[in-house]
Amino acid sequence: MFRTTIISAALITSALVGAQVVQADDAKPYTVVDGVKVDAKTMEGFRVWREANCAACHGPNQEGLVGPSLIKSLQVLSKDEFVTTITAGRLERGMPAWNANKRVMDNIDSLYAYLKGRSDGAITRTKPEMIAQ
Amino acid sequence: MNLNRITMLLVGAALVAPVASQANDDLAAKIKDSKNWAAQAGDFANHRYSSLNQVTTANVNQLQVAWTFSTGVLRGHEGSPLVIGDMMYIHSPFPNKVWAYDLNTLQIVWKYEPKQDPAVVPQMCCDTVNRGLAYAEGKVFLQQADTNLVALDAKSGKVVWSVKNGDPKLGAVNSSAPHVFKNKVFTGISGGEWGVRGFMAAYDINTGKQAWKGYSVGPDEEMLMDPEKTMTWTDGKMAPVGKDSSLKTWKGDQWKIGGGTTWGWYSYDPSLNAMFYGTGNPSTWNPAQRPGDNKWSMSIWSRDVDTGKVNWVYQMTPYDEWDFDGINEMILADIPVHGKETKALSHFDRNGFGYTLDRTTGALLVAEKYDPAVNWATHVDMKTGRPQVVAKYSTAKNGPDVNSKGICPAALGSKDEQPASFSPDTKLFYVPTNHVCMDYEPFKVEYTAGSPYVGATLSMFPAPSASKDQKDGTMGNFIAWDGGTGKIVWSKPEKFSVWSGALTTKGGLAFYGTLEGYIKAVDAKTGKELWKFKTPSGIIGNVFTYEHKGKQFVGVYSGIGGWAGIGMAAGLEKDTDGLGAVGGYKELNKFTELGGSLTVFAIPGK
Repeated sequence: MFRTTIISAALITSALVGAQVVQADDAKPYTVVDGVKVDAKTMEGFRVWREANCAACHGPNQEGLVGPSLIKSLQVLSKDEFVTTITAGRLERGMPAWNANKRVMDNIDSLYAYLKGRSDGAITRTKPEMIAQ
Repeated sequence: MNLNRITMLLVGAALVAPVASQANDDLAAKIKDSKNWAAQAGDFANHRYSSLNQVTTANVNQLQVAWTFSTGVLRGHEGSPLVIGDMMYIHSPFPNKVWAYDLNTLQIVWKYEPKQDPAVVPQMCCDTVNRGLAYAEGKVFLQQADTNLVALDAKSGKVVWSVKNGDPKLGAVNSSAPHVFKNKVFTGISGGEWGVRGFMAAYDINTGKQAWKGYSVGPDEEMLMDPEKTMTWTDGKMAPVGKDSSLKTWKGDQWKIGGGTTWGWYSYDPSLNAMFYGTGNPSTWNPAQRPGDNKWSMSIWSRDVDTGKVNWVYQMTPYDEWDFDGINEMILADIPVHGKETKALSHFDRNGFGYTLDRTTGALLVAEKYDPAVNWATHVDMKTGRPQVVAKYSTAKNGPDVNSKGICPAALGSKDEQPASFSPDTKLFYVPTNHVCMDYEPFKVEYTAGSPYVGATLSMFPAPSASKDQKDGTMGNFIAWDGGTGKIVWSKPEKFSVWSGALTTKGGLAFYGTLEGYIKAVDAKTGKELWKFKTPSGIIGNVFTYEHKGKQFVGVYSGIGGWAGIGMAAGLEKDTDGLGAVGGYKELNKFTELGGSLTVFAIPGK
């Protein structure tokens, strides 16, 4: 999965000399060019974020609202903890369980890639765009 | 045909009249006694007016705090307490606590706190608000967030009956206040952002048995609509809605998840035996997924109180493209309209137009902008009743994944739920308004039962200044409005949206609260500010008044929250684009903090 992303990112890198590229690796599940262009998987994560209306609680830029800042949370949470939180929710604190939502559950890795990229500061705009094919 | 109908109505009225005169005279009498604040609006007509006149334009500056009460609940405090004789009934947002509070001793007589599934909390779109209680015949009615409608014994706080009004697992929740008209308690439903299909329901006040339920969209029989008898404004006159008036304005089965929720303040005219309310936005916010007029979302309704049959209906915003949710209150006032005395209904819609209709027939009389910033439509065509949409602000024309910029008003409307007041002394409406615009980018969203079904990203910001008195960057006005001509009489700018319900009094005053936390009194004739006091938190509750032991009191909840104030918990550190409701309201951090309380004022010694 990651390997595919790395290869496509490498191809893009050769085409875009001088562009600033963050490539996916074990610690970084996303590929970003110039802070705003992302790989297809990360882009899908943005779409899921938008459709699930996460911004209503976590803020339009993930900086927190009635829910916590995901910029900060994803600096602390492991991937496993992230998946558990999304799946089971934290009902007493207002976080719903998404286990019955197929769109979210099928794309939980994408969602993580996008939010991790935002949290790391690698994706500099809330709404990224796709790396040109 | 018409003659037959009139005869039938007369016969019907004659048969119903004896029952009507007995059922719930109690509440009508308690409302008539202005010492009480017996209903959320103070009356059935949504006037929010009191004939108490100890506090006047001459002495209002002597108002001082008489006592305060903490609810112990954070988040937004909307609505107001009720006062029945010596007892005040106080409520809180989720978990929806209720207190009976003895005004003689200032002691809690009983407290009710329901057990509710915390999973309800994230199903509430715009903070966990509750807009208050209703009272009738020794019972206090609470509409819980989890949709349970509960009747409490007013003396003991014990549950008399409880009925489930919707399924919170599907996003159907309640934030609105129940309303008692005659022998029924009326409640609607929230969840337009979850694809909930809206309805109005009536329950027997003594048993909780459902008397009728009428949907906002769908087949005629489920809306309790008679294709031949239910009327609507058509080519400059009233005409029957015809068969399948809702179904034929939706593509496929979209109406089943089509919204049209009903979470506003309802009103009742005993002489017409009719109740009035508005329906909300169609679901989703992405118009591309629901071509058609989406009837009867975004509409003003008149229903028979006893049967629920729809007398007339008028759609304000066909094919919504902006979330101009039409639930705001219908104010029933007898006013001159274009010079002619009229039994009118006035309504300040989220879409920025102030409407006046003939409440008997449903005929459209006035539709004018009540904030000069409104730009999404040039005007309402008075013949068709349709707003004339400006192409560049049409999020449907611009399409999904395109950001339509600079639309005024924003989705939270030129006014949201914060209710206006009508003074029979000045014959004017006093309207708390938002002065906010938005960028709106719709996107495709799949429906998943119980998950958000929004489908648009919004960014909100202050509108351009509306008058020479208004500084750039301010976000609200408190206005006086002539409903008969559709003109602003005066306008008082405020830094933030005015998100509290207004109160007018015989003392020549209009009261309202601000998001910074001030309660203010102005001269109802001129708008001149006469008094203000900073309460513990931002005000989104409604100002109310009552008399106890010969003295007039004025009170209001403070407790910032709601859609406008929800960003308070954010603690945002830097300016970025796309802040939604948060952006413009971010500065609230400088003025106030979360925390629910009630502050009650009186003139010392008076």
